[in-house]
This record gives sequence, C-alpha cells and structure tokens, in this order.
Amino acid sequence: MTSPLPALLLAAIAVSYAAGPVTGPKEIEFNRDVRPILSDKCFLCHGPDAVAKKIPLRLDSEAAAKRAIVAGDPAASAVIRRITAEKPALRMPPLHSGLKLTEVEVQTISDWIKQGARWQKHWAFIPPVRKPLPQTNDRMWAKNGIDNFVLEQLERAGLKPSPEASRETLIRRVTLDLTGLPPTIAEIDAFLADKSPNAYEKVVDRLLASSRYGERMAVRWLDAARYADTNGYQFDGERNMWRWRDWVIDAFNRNQPFDQFTMEQIAGDLLPNSTTAQKIATGFNRNHRANTEDGIIPEEYAVEYVVDRVETMSAVFLGATLGCARCHNHKYDPFTQKNFYQMFAYFNNVPELGRAMKYGNSPPVVPAPTRDQQAKLDALIGRIDSERRLIENNASSIGSAQKTWESSLQTQSPEYWAPSGKLTGAFTLDESGTLSVAPGRFGKATVFDGKSFVDLGHVGSFDIEDRFTLSAWIYSDTKPDGSIISRMADNPKGKGYGIHTDNGKVHFNMTSVYADDAIRLETEDILTPKQWHHILVTYSGSRMASGVSVVVDGKPQPVKVLLDTLYRPFNNAGKPFVQSFRVGSGWGPERRFRGLIDNVQIYGRVLDTNEIAAMSVGLSVNAIAAKPAANRTEAEQRQLRWYFLEHAAAPEIRESWRRFVQLESEREALERSFPTVMVMAESPIPKDTFLLIRGAYDKHGEKVTPGLPEVLDPPSGGLLNNRLGLAKWLVDPNNPLTARVTVNRFWQMRFGAGLVKTTEDFGVQGDWPSHPDLLDWLATEFIRTKWDVKAMQRLIVTSATYRQQSKAAPELIQRDPDNRLLARGPRRRLPAEMVRDQALFSAGLLVEKIGGPSVKPYQPVGLWKEQNMQDGDYEPGTGEDLYRRSLYTFWKRTIPPPMMSNFDAAAREACVVRETRTNTPLQALNLMNDVTFTEAARFIAQRMMKEAGTDSSARLSHGFRLILGRAPVANELKLLQDNLAYHRDYFASDVDKAQSLLQEGATRADASLAPQELAAYASVASLMLNLDEAITIQ
Amino acid sequence: MTADKKLLMTRRHFFGAGATGLGTAALASLLGKDLRAEAGLPGLPHFAPKAKRVIYLFQHGAPSQLDMFDYKPALKERRGLNLPESIRMGQRLTGMTAYQATFPTAPTIFKFDQHGKSGMWLSELVPRTAKVADDIVLIKSLHTEAINHDPAVTFFQTGFQIAGRPSIGSWISYGLGSENQELPAFVAMVSQGTGNAQALADRAWGSGFLETKYQGVKFRSAADPVLYLSNPTGYSRDARRRYLDDLAKLNELNAKDYQDPEISTRIAQYEMAFKMQASVPELTDLSTEPASTFELYGPDSRKPGSYAANCILARRLAERGVRFIQLFHRGWDQHNNLPKQIREQCMQTDQPSAALVQDLKQRGMLDDTLVVWGGEFGRTVYSQGTLTEDNYGRDHHPRCFSMWMAGGGLKGGVTYGETDEFSYNIAENPVTVHDLHATILHCLGIDHTRLTYKYQGRHFRLTDVHGQAIRDILA
Repeated sequence: MTSPLPALLLAAIAVSYAAGPVTGPKEIEFNRDVRPILSDKCFLCHGPDAVAKKIPLRLDSEAAAKRAIVAGDPAASAVIRRITAEKPALRMPPLHSGLKLTEVEVQTISDWIKQGARWQKHWAFIPPVRKPLPQTNDRMWAKNGIDNFVLEQLERAGLKPSPEASRETLIRRVTLDLTGLPPTIAEIDAFLADKSPNAYEKVVDRLLASSRYGERMAVRWLDAARYADTNGYQFDGERNMWRWRDWVIDAFNRNQPFDQFTMEQIAGDLLPNSTTAQKIATGFNRNHRANTEDGIIPEEYAVEYVVDRVETMSAVFLGATLGCARCHNHKYDPFTQKNFYQMFAYFNNVPELGRAMKYGNSPPVVPAPTRDQQAKLDALIGRIDSERRLIENNASSIGSAQKTWESSLQTQSPEYWAPSGKLTGAFTLDESGTLSVAPGRFGKATVFDGKSFVDLGHVGSFDIEDRFTLSAWIYSDTKPDGSIISRMADNPKGKGYGIHTDNGKVHFNMTSVYADDAIRLETEDILTPKQWHHILVTYSGSRMASGVSVVVDGKPQPVKVLLDTLYRPFNNAGKPFVQSFRVGSGWGPERRFRGLIDNVQIYGRVLDTNEIAAMSVGLSVNAIAAKPAANRTEAEQRQLRWYFLEHAAAPEIRESWRRFVQLESEREALERSFPTVMVMAESPIPKDTFLLIRGAYDKHGEKVTPGLPEVLDPPSGGLLNNRLGLAKWLVDPNNPLTARVTVNRFWQMRFGAGLVKTTEDFGVQGDWPSHPDLLDWLATEFIRTKWDVKAMQRLIVTSATYRQQSKAAPELIQRDPDNRLLARGPRRRLPAEMVRDQALFSAGLLVEKIGGPSVKPYQPVGLWKEQNMQDGDYEPGTGEDLYRRSLYTFWKRTIPPPMMSNFDAAAREACVVRETRTNTPLQALNLMNDVTFTEAARFIAQRMMKEAGTDSSARLSHGFRLILGRAPVANELKLLQDNLAYHRDYFASDVDKAQSLLQEGATRADASLAPQELAAYASVASLMLNLDEAITIQ
Repeated sequence: MTADKKLLMTRRHFFGAGATGLGTAALASLLGKDLRAEAGLPGLPHFAPKAKRVIYLFQHGAPSQLDMFDYKPALKERRGLNLPESIRMGQRLTGMTAYQATFPTAPTIFKFDQHGKSGMWLSELVPRTAKVADDIVLIKSLHTEAINHDPAVTFFQTGFQIAGRPSIGSWISYGLGSENQELPAFVAMVSQGTGNAQALADRAWGSGFLETKYQGVKFRSAADPVLYLSNPTGYSRDARRRYLDDLAKLNELNAKDYQDPEISTRIAQYEMAFKMQASVPELTDLSTEPASTFELYGPDSRKPGSYAANCILARRLAERGVRFIQLFHRGWDQHNNLPKQIREQCMQTDQPSAALVQDLKQRGMLDDTLVVWGGEFGRTVYSQGTLTEDNYGRDHHPRCFSMWMAGGGLKGGVTYGETDEFSYNIAENPVTVHDLHATILHCLGIDHTRLTYKYQGRHFRLTDVHGQAIRDILA
C-alpha cells in the first residue's frame, strides 16, 4: 500500500499556512514561524543555558544572535551556512543531537533573514493586547466576539462555518459540558418546545446556576492540583483533603472571581484576618504526594514537595515549565536556575515534615468543620455561654453561699478535688495487693522496691491520635530513676507509651518502632530527692513532640526532644496492641521504680492549664478553706470554687454547672470529630533557601530570596517577598500569562483542545496559538469582567463557534483533521468521570449529594491487596456510596480506580492540565462488562419497561433518549428492534441466563418485571451505553 | 497483524457494508493514525534489532547481591568487624540504619561455586540459574541514585525517581508498536513472595505523559486475567458477537453522519476486545501445557498467580508476539532474618527463572528474546540488626548490586563489572540504570537518544540525558 503520510502532511501544511494569506509570498513572522524552529532544533545548545555550557553563540536573544545572522542576507549569515553545510562535520544541528531541520524549516529561516530578520519577544511573555473585533464578510453569523476572530480566519482559509447543531445535540453538548451530566428528557422537551429567541441562553443560564456546575468544573481543577485521598509514594496511606475538594466545588458554584480563587489557594493563610475557608483553600499547595517510607532522608523529600509546588503553580497559572530549571538554566525559556529557586523560596517556609505521617494528615493542618458541624458548634457555644452567664449573673449569691460553706468544712473529713470530665481511671494506690503501703501524699501510697510493680489492667488504651493526660505523685529518697507509669511492652525499646524517670529527669515516650517511629523527650531540670512531686503529661494526639507537655508541680517544663518521628499507630495492620497499664514499670526489670507513688489519674483529654494548676495544689478543699482567702493562690481559689459548684452550691447552680461541664465536653468531642485539612503556613523562623546544585537536596549553592523571573517583568518593590505578593502578582492585570493560560484551559474543556494546544507550556517550545488574537481577546475579556468564571463559560458556550454541528464533510476532515480552524463544532469523547456519571444518571441510580468524605464504588476484588503493603484490600462501600458522582470516588494514587485509568483520567501523582483521550480495547471491555455499567443497563431497561408503555419501539426510543438525548432514526430503531428480538430469543431459551445477568450489582432486579424480558432490554441498554455516540459529546 | 491485513479489515468496515460516505483521503488519514499506533514510530527500529521482545523479571524489594551473585570470600575474615570508614566514605544510609552504632560486616552464609564454561561464581541459592550460566551475562556493577523502594523502582521503571514519566514498556510499545492484533503490546504481572513485601504502584507499568494506550495491561491470576474481560454470567460469546455486530452497525451509521475517524477506531477496538476475550483465556489456560513444562518450571508452576506460573505465561506471551512482558515478584526486602527469607524467595524464583531461559532456548526463541532479571538496588554488606552465627539482616544499598540478562543479542557466560572487596563500591565498569535502559533499547534496535516524546516543551527520553549501551556484553 502507499503510505498515508503524504495526505496527513498535506493536511498539516494546509493548516499551518491557513493562518497566513492563502496565496502570494508568505510573510514570515518570527514568533509564529521562526522561533519554534530555533527553539526546538537549536536552543538545546544555543539557548538560555548556553552560558553554562560555555557555548559562545546564543540564538535565543536578538543581540546575541546578530553575530550569526545578517539581516536581509541569508547567504552571508553563518546560521544559514551551517544549517545547509554539505559536510556532516560542519552541519547543524550535529548528527549526535538526533535533531534534524526539514527543508521547509531551512527555507523559513532563510526567508525570514531575507525579509529583514525581524525579532520579537516571545508572544506569551508580552501582556495580551485586545485588538478590535475583526471585520468579516459574513455579517450574520457571529453571536459574540469569539466568532469574529474564528470567522475571520475561516474566511482567510476559504472555509465556511458549519450550521448550528440540532437542538437535541446542542442541549446534550452544553449540559454535559457545563454540568457533567446529560439533560433529562423533560429538559430536552422543554428546550425543543421553547420558541423564544433566547431559548438556548436560558438553558445555559439554568445550567450555570445548577450546583452540578461546580462539581463539573472542580474535576479538572482536581487534576491540575493533583488531588487524591492518599499520600502516594510507597506506603500510600490515607489522608483527608476532601474539605479542600469541597471548597473548590463551592468556589465554582458561588462563582468566586478567579483572582480571589487564586489568591486564596496560593496565600489564603496570609490574607488579613483570614477565615477558615481561606485557610482550607491553601490545601492546593499541600495536595502533592508525601513520602512516609521508613528510612528515607526527610530533607530529600522536603525539597521534592517544594519542587512539586513550584512545578504545579507554574503549570497551572503560568503555563510555564519552570521545573526544567531545577538542575540547570532552562534549555528553551529565559528562566535561570536561580529563578527556579527564587520561586522555590516562596513555598519553602512551611513548617512541614519531610517524612510525612503514614496515616492521616501531616502538619500543618487546620480543623475544617463542615457547614453542619459549624452550625452545631455555634449552637453549643451559645448554650455554653448561657450557662456561663447564669453562673456569672449569680456571682454574688454564689460567693456568699460559698463562704458559709467554707466555714462548715472545718468539721468535715477532708475531700479532694479533681477534674471529672473524661476521667478514665483514678487509682489512690492506698492498697496494692502484696505491695506494702506507707503514708503518702494523700492518705497512703504504694511502696515500690525496684522489682515489683502494680498492674492496673486495661485502662489508658490510647493510641497515637488520641488525646490524653496522665498524672501521678512520686517520692524518692534518691534522684528518681525508673518507670512511673506506662502502657508499653516492658522494655526500654518497647511499643507503647510511658512516663519514666531517668537519673532525675522526667522522660516520656510514645514508641511504635524504637529506632525511627517514636517520640521521646525528657525534661531539662532534675527532680529533687526526698520530696513529693506531681508529674503530669498531656498529649494532644498530634503525633508530634510539640503535642506533648510535661508539667512538674504545676510548672510546664522545658524539654529536650530526643526523637520526633512517630508515624504508626500502636494498633497496626489489624493487630490490636495489648498491654496493661502498669505503675512502677515499663522500662524492663532493670529500671523499675524505687520510692512511693500516689494517686494515679488518667484522662481521655488534654486538661487545660487551670485544671492542671488546680490538680497540682495537692491540698484537700478543707485545707484550702482553712486558709484565709487572701493567702490562697489563684489555683487554690479556683479549686475551691469548682468543688463548691460541683457539690455544695444551690441546686439550680449545681445543675447549671453540671450542664456547663457537660457541654464543654460535648464541644471538645465535636471539635475532635472535625475533619482536618492540610494547609500552608509560614514558619515563625524563616527558613533559608539555597540554589541547589544540580537540583540535589544536599548541594547548597548561593542563598536566594523569593523573586520572579525578570522576563515576566515583575513590578519592583518589596511587595513580592512572600506568597501573598506572589498571589497578587499572579492575578495582576499586567501578568502576561495567568489570564491567557486560564481561558485556554476553559477553551480546552469545551473544545477538547486549547487555542494553545500545549496547555501546560506557553513557553517558546509550546504550540503557537491557533487564534492568537482570540486568545488575547478572551484573556483581556476575562480581566475586564473581573475574572468572572461563569461569564467566561457563558461567553464560550453561547458563541456560534461552539454551537456549530460537529458533522463534517470528508474534505473538511481531510483539510483540518484536528479541527484547529474550528469550521465545525467540537466532537470529543467524554472524560472518564462523565462516562460513569452519565450511565448512573440515565439509569436513575446517581445519588446527588455535594461533598463529604470520598466513597468507594465497585472495584474488582484484589487489586489493592496484590500490590499493597499490609493494609488489606479495597472494601467497596454500600448503598449510596456506590452511586455518587465519580469526583467523590476514593483516589488511591498508586492504584487508582481502574475504570478511571482506562478512560484516561489523570493519575493524580503530579499536576496534569492537558486533557487526553485514547481509544482502546480495555475501554470496550470496561463498558461492556464492568458491573457499574451492567447494573446501570438493567436500571435503564427497567425505565424503558415502566416509563414507556408496552410498545417495544416506544421503549427502545425511551432508552435511547435517556442515554443519547435523541430519538433513534428509522434504521437505528430497526437495528435496535432486531437486537431486542435476538436477545428475547436468547434469554427465552434459558431463564437462568436471564437471572444471572440480572444479578449484576448490589441492587435487586425489579421483581414486577418478567426476568427474560428485562434481561433482553438490559442487553440492549448495555449496547446503547456502548455506542460511540453515548460516550461522546457530539 | 500486518499493515495490509489491517487495511483489509478496515476496508471491510467501510466498504463491505456498502454504507459509507467516508472519502478515501479520510480513510487514509484514519489508517495512518491506526498504523502508527500498531506499527510504532516511523523510522523505528533505528537499526536491525537482535531482540524482538523483552521479558523483564523484576525482583521487587531488592535481592541481596552478596548472598547470590557477588562472591566475596575475603569477608569471612572480617566477620563482625565494623565496616571500615575508608569503604563507607560517609555515604548516606537510610534512616533505618543511619543511627546504628556499629556496622558489623556480615559475610554470606551461603556457599559459592564456579559454574559453566566461564566459571561464573554463583551461590548455592541459585542452583538452577547456575545451570544456565553459559547463557547469561551477570552484571555485578549496577548502581542507582535512589535509596528507598518507591523512588528506586520508579527510577528503574521510568528512568526518573519522581512519578510522572512513562515506564520502559510503554516507551517500547510507543516506539515499536505491537506485533499482534489480539493482545496488548505490553503486559505486566505481579506475584507474591514469601518475605517482606513492599508496595508496588500502577505507575510501574504506567504510561506517564504518553497516551494511556501505551500503558502495560496487568494480567492477573483472578477469574478475569484482564480487568472486565469476561462477559457477565449468562451472557455467551455468541450473544456478544451478535451484540458487537449490531453495535458496529449503529456506530457505522453515526460514522457516516459525522465522518469522525474516532468512530471507526472505536469499532476496531471493540473487535480487538472481542478477540482478547478469546485469546487471553486461551493464553492463560496452562492446562494445554505438557507435564514436561511443569517439571521444567517446578512444582509452583501449577499454582496460578505464582512466579513460576507467570514465567510460563511470559513464554506464552512471547510466543504470541507480545513486545514487552514484565513480571514483578515481591518479597525481597530482607532487613531481618535474611538467610531464612532469601532461601524461601530463591526456592520460588530460581528454578522458574532458569527454566524460562532454557525453555526459550529449546524453542529457538532465546536469540530474539531478551530476558532481564533484577531488583531496584542491592543490600548492605553490614548487618542491619544483630549479627549472629546464622542470622543477619541487610539494609538498602544503592552503590552496587547485581543483575543478569540473557538472550536477545547479548553474549552468554559473561560476568561484567566488579565491586570492591566489601561489595560496597564499584571497582570497575560501573553500569547506571540509564545504561541498562540504553542496552535494552539497543537490543531492540533502538538508539535510546532518538526515542523521544515532546512534552512540556522537552524532547523526553527514557534515558533522560544519560546512558550508554554496554557494548562489551553485546554479542
């Protein structure tokens, strides 16, 4: 056969020349025609990094290139001599580069020199210029400014736009495009019936107002922001970033202007009086993968996280490949390696861990209550306040009643006060089995001889994310040494937690694996022998040493952190951690306590400072009451008041106090239940940033400060020294890139490809825009409308360009296979999430609920287990969880949902802004056999049989409309009828076959329908779901 | 399938039914598109290939070179002594042993002997591999930049430590296309070892920034060897045939209307799916193999999903023209109790690995099939944890480790590269991961500097900007 290449090549040439005049000598434009050649074939050596490589000739700047280019005289130009040299040794590009110039490219460079070698700054680095709308011959077609630009180019190419798509095609196209779901039959009918001139615009406005719009828009943003539900890398444990995901949906739905949207995600935490929502927004920069593998070098990965932020930010907002300048100057674009590290510096000041938490979120995090939770919290606070007021309003009567009560105390036996909320264990140690007792700090205390210990059984079963407080009184004749209380395997390296004394210092540990998965710290000061000490430790559940507080005799202690890398829970990999709570033991037989221990108390919360101070008083309320009021300490006074309110105040006051305490503990529990989200924050002590030689984390070069590449003309002054400055600059109207890059991505969402096809690269290696003036017009329009995202969508989808039919004559397909000229409407396969969502929606199975934790729909058994660590297999959810929109599907980065991968979803390991579509046999198998689709097919069959009467034509047409949004034409209906007949026949012979097919999925088949008939319709419904048209926006 | 057959098949779709308005030019462009997908890039291979396909036996978790391949008799004398600083030279260690007080030298407890005509030194852990010593080239001087599993595997699989780049198999299927019409060009399989297993990510066979059609298709030992392969219960192959015929007719009606070549491609992909529904079960059904096959590959080979069974599958895939076949066997991460664990791992892997080489050879396929065996890094000469008479552990060691390769244009019976007396540093002929990639591509007739894909403005390569084929081991 003959090669098909020439035909393709012709088509390509036709397109590239279409932008210029159709006939006559072509005027060469440097940016459009020449720079792409120089960049692709020459810049690798003669580009921005030439200096570093000590290559004298640079072709990326006009001044430098002069030495090899003589304007107007190609023959005298060294560039032409070298690229046309006969001798291979002289010829550029050199053979070893693997690069080659085509004849057309050589000719273009030569023509350009002949025409005067006029240079231009790279187009994307010049702020967009709004040109007047071009005049076109056809004055009727254009519906808005977009169309003038498109039509002008079509006319120059001698082409005509295609007619407007049919109403059925149009409403399905725009409904899927704006909401990610197909229109209902009722919506289609209403549109078909609406004869008003703005019927289409009304549909668009309805769709833009739908909350489905935010869900649709969010998906592509999640791809760009590499959002996922796990950490990635090896261990790939779960994290919780869904509150950020819900923030994104909400931002799109309330049409937050894109400049605000950007500012909050880049620097929401730095905005004045920033709200919780603005802090949540900064999760954008924490969505990167995080390594938790044992044995990694934390600094190495801390660098990777910052690199990821720079790469993501620059791809998403600037369409720049700054990451290429990590190890050396950029090979093509004017970004130096120093520029890269100056960008790096913006994101390098986060108090984060290089080795992230194995499970859950890694600091910094913020609590991120949902709307419901916030409302509950507000209500609780209101009730707490009213109890507090009740007590305050009665202060004087309470005071006098307390005085009376105090004087009555002298005659009563001593009573002690301790906080009561979440007290999970209190042991007086007045008697301890065979161990002897002696007079203690309170009544008696147990005597420990350095061998024996007390086993208190299963109390204090806290894990590393629990909050707790441990308290004990100790006395020792010598410098205290040995374990006080613990719940750990009884040896110094054992798993669990414990408070010990080590040569007089208080030592606390939480150990999962002694070597590198533990917190260990000790006090700096030494306990005094022959004296009672109150030892108290609180732990906030943060898994960080900073969440531990050691208090001795009421004074918080300065501590030395010995290890701060706690990651794994004690109850790990399904194996419960079983140890009893021991007094006087925990560091093994060698290190048991010698001395007295009294009153051990265990709380399932972090006591507040006032409570701790009151506890350390160590006096009975009677003793305090005996002191003259003026001599009492604040803590003593408070302790007395609390005891009074609990036990002796007037009944209504006691009741109010009881409620107050109860509500406070409810509040604590509620706050503990809040999801958190990882956010950006600034370290109080700024971290230095260095240029990293060859990009290596441990090879520091010069110190750098935050700053922007000179080529982008950043404003001067100190505004830019932090993320907030960066965020402001990103959305500054003079920024040449952000608006262009953003509207280009919107365009890609509606047309399958951007005006600049390389959505991720607007640099010199990126593609030349198909419609440069249109891109600039849209960018300036975006800024002019104050970054109104919905208005921009509306502008695009109401254009005549978008509304064209995507049917085309063969000549047009041949002329412009990729539809770069836009002489027809966009036709493209649905993105992965829509393939599934549409099937569920047509089936009536889709559960629409915005936001919340990610869910686990169907997935073949064993996929996780065969590649995972110890964490077991994927456990599919039940009920509603099986039928939520796909953007809520749990995304495990290392093993993504297979259906999503089959249909080209971004892997979410790194930022992806370009949409791709492939066409594979695995997609066919997926659509035909995945239970998601076979179950949906059954539901569609049920709808056909129950909603469309008894006539098979009507039923088939109904199913067809449910999926494709249009009725079948005659020969389609005939084929469907034939297929139905075949399947009726097929199942008629064997009811078991029908029953098996109907068993697909977690739901039961509608028992009111004959199984054989239902199975036949389900088979046809499956066929409809598998039509190319079904998974395509036509 | 050849280009001509493909044309015929497509022609039938467009002209056979007499129902097309597609112009010949559009057809040509459609075919051009399809042919590129199946036949690979124009101009490839760059030169006459020695190997048509690769079977890569990835030993996941990092096998110990010291106990299997890298014979260091002198270490016996140094048993328990601290690793000299002159050898370690302050090299970075993983966080797991960085705080270890001492680094006691742990010589292997396994016996080494010379094998084959070349006298290749191999340990008693790999007696079967020893029998094919004359067919393999043992490289003792591999080294890598990564020190932890995930980045190291990613580096081996994609030429870069950070996720996002295409895997080696997807590069090859992008470059060379497929040799057959019924199976994917790149197949991956995972089996479970007995020892400490580390997680394995889909990206190991992912296509990175290449189109997803180039990604490896994972074959599993589950009821569906390929995800969603089987029809729903109760739905027969005949019914599916009829379904696909009607589906194609409906799609063709739409194609006539829209002229979009994607529709015709879709029809072709459904046909391919239908073929896979027959060819994959046939392929994975080992019951047709004679008893001698199972004898050759060992008792494990009757267990579906085992490494041994996967080795037989690899041969069957190779026979059917699958371009890149990659097995991942987990469980080599022997930080503790190495002697016991490695013995068990080798029981599972030694015989089938060697059997595969033998089997290919006896079928005359070893000449054009390249077999690669190895993990993501090596293991330390010093013991992680306590060293006793018969027990020790070994931490990750990126600075030197061993792999072997066979067939497909390589010499046999060759030991390449040398390490120092501690198997800690490389003494001669260092081989980078990029060099290994360049060598594999070379065997396939590909100049690694010229297999590129433009993304983010860069012409990316599997070998980044490095790598050189190891000339000395090429036949």
